[in-house]
Amino acid sequence: MARTVAMFTDTSLCIGCRACQVACKQWNELGLEAPEWTGSYQNHAHFTDQTFRLVRFVEEPKTNGDLAWLLMSDVCKHCADAGCLNVCPTGAIYRTDFGTVNINQDVCNGCRYCVAACPFGVVTFNDDTGTAKKCTFCNDRLHNGLGPACAKACPTESIQFGFREELVVRAQKRVETLKGLGFKDAQLYGADSRGFLGGLNAFFLLLSKPSTYGLPDHPKVPQKNLFVDSLVSIGSALLVGVGALVAFRRRGGGED
Amino acid sequence: MALLQSPHWPLLIDVYFFLGGLAGGAFVIATVANLLDARRYRDVVRTGYYLTLAALAPCPVILIVDLGVPARFINMLLNFNPLSPMSMGAWALLAFSACAGFAALFTFLEDIGRARDLSGPKLVAGVIGGFFGFFLAAYPGVLLGVTTRPLWTNSHVLGALFLAVGASTGAAAMALILLATSRRTGEGVAGLRVMTVLSLLIQILSVVLFVGLVSMSGSAASVSALSQLTSGRFALLFWGGAVVIGSVLPLAIGLVDLKRRSIGLTAIASVLVIVGGFLVKYVIMAAGQA
Repeated sequence: MARTVAMFTDTSLCIGCRACQVACKQWNELGLEAPEWTGSYQNHAHFTDQTFRLVRFVEEPKTNGDLAWLLMSDVCKHCADAGCLNVCPTGAIYRTDFGTVNINQDVCNGCRYCVAACPFGVVTFNDDTGTAKKCTFCNDRLHNGLGPACAKACPTESIQFGFREELVVRAQKRVETLKGLGFKDAQLYGADSRGFLGGLNAFFLLLSKPSTYGLPDHPKVPQKNLFVDSLVSIGSALLVGVGALVAFRRRGGGED
Repeated sequence: MALLQSPHWPLLIDVYFFLGGLAGGAFVIATVANLLDARRYRDVVRTGYYLTLAALAPCPVILIVDLGVPARFINMLLNFNPLSPMSMGAWALLAFSACAGFAALFTFLEDIGRARDLSGPKLVAGVIGGFFGFFLAAYPGVLLGVTTRPLWTNSHVLGALFLAVGASTGAAAMALILLATSRRTGEGVAGLRVMTVLSLLIQILSVVLFVGLVSMSGSAASVSALSQLTSGRFALLFWGGAVVIGSVLPLAIGLVDLKRRSIGLTAIASVLVIVGGFLVKYVIMAAGQA
């Protein structure tokens, strides 16, 4: 088993150049899409089956009424406990030896359950192939000793690739530095492997609280509901079963 | 800006959830009737088992054509994933189809006079199939709960609701068929009337719990999604269709009908239950994916 790799996206260094988004498209041969107006420079509003890296342009109101620009290059989080992988009924979604999460395009049959189960809206459906699509962590590059194309192309080292435990240490130092510089809301998102979803293998340094970026503050794997929802269903089944026994118990006479 | 994406499952999936639930409900009801008095409820049992098979027949086709790559449907049956309600549902559909097929076959052999009394073998197929029938009726609701869609993920009762809808629609469909086909309908239809009323009570209780639990979940996204259902663009369909016309009205008619025992009232209530049961599932699917 190879060591777990990770991508660390330090949003404090992002200049919104979208080199990552373009490099991702180039390497993964993702097709053209009609641009859409999102109210800012951001294109597109969401991940699509042709956009696996997406630079978010977030406008945060400041106390003086101005807007501050928060830039964040978003990507599949490759969760240690991944909702998409958990719900996949075909086994097409699998964890690689590097700890990343991938969709086997030759097995996926396009049921779209993973699309509904991702806590971050990463997985999308491709009508042409009939399969689910998302960031592969450049699996082909990984197997040839290269980092992902987005990290390679990033001119400011906002996206860093490496072994997870080394990146986490580096990220923690960076948060302290930024706090010392006055960025009081600087925080890591998904770096803690004991935190939500068992930690994210693509984790982030944010300059504001996660919800400012549209990220869930406490993302949960959908399987947290499996036990309770099943239990309530069994309760309902018992009630219906007893109901049927009551309805068809022996009783005298009574014709229409 | 919310990040979540919708699976955009088409209307046919709602139809499958409806038919699977109806089949599961009808099968369980027929099995219980067979268990309690095979001779007296003979018509109920054969109606239930034939209806189950008929409702089940289109289900695999629906599921396969809705896949992105239909030819790869078999991949679902090359994998067993207990964490995935969809995987478990695929297996349950397979197991239930086998049981429903045997139950209908035994009924058929009796009908054409090739066997005198197969209530014993029917009971075996019925009890094993009853478990999978319940599973088939409930699992779509659990499947929706095991997503990150805001309307579904904080409700916890969708499996219970879908199962109750399966039972009410199953009972109502059986009552309609019995009324239309059988001369001696007495005891069987009387039992189905009671069954419909009891299932509707569980169904309405589940809807109340659904609205209550989601509105008290503390999740802004879930509350906002619920408002689409209760006061937004799905409100008319939800309150008017699913709740009033599809659940409360047939419950009221059914309660009157318990005493009155009128063929007309039973027929009206049954039609409303079937329409309402579909609307319950449809509106939750539509609002949850909007």
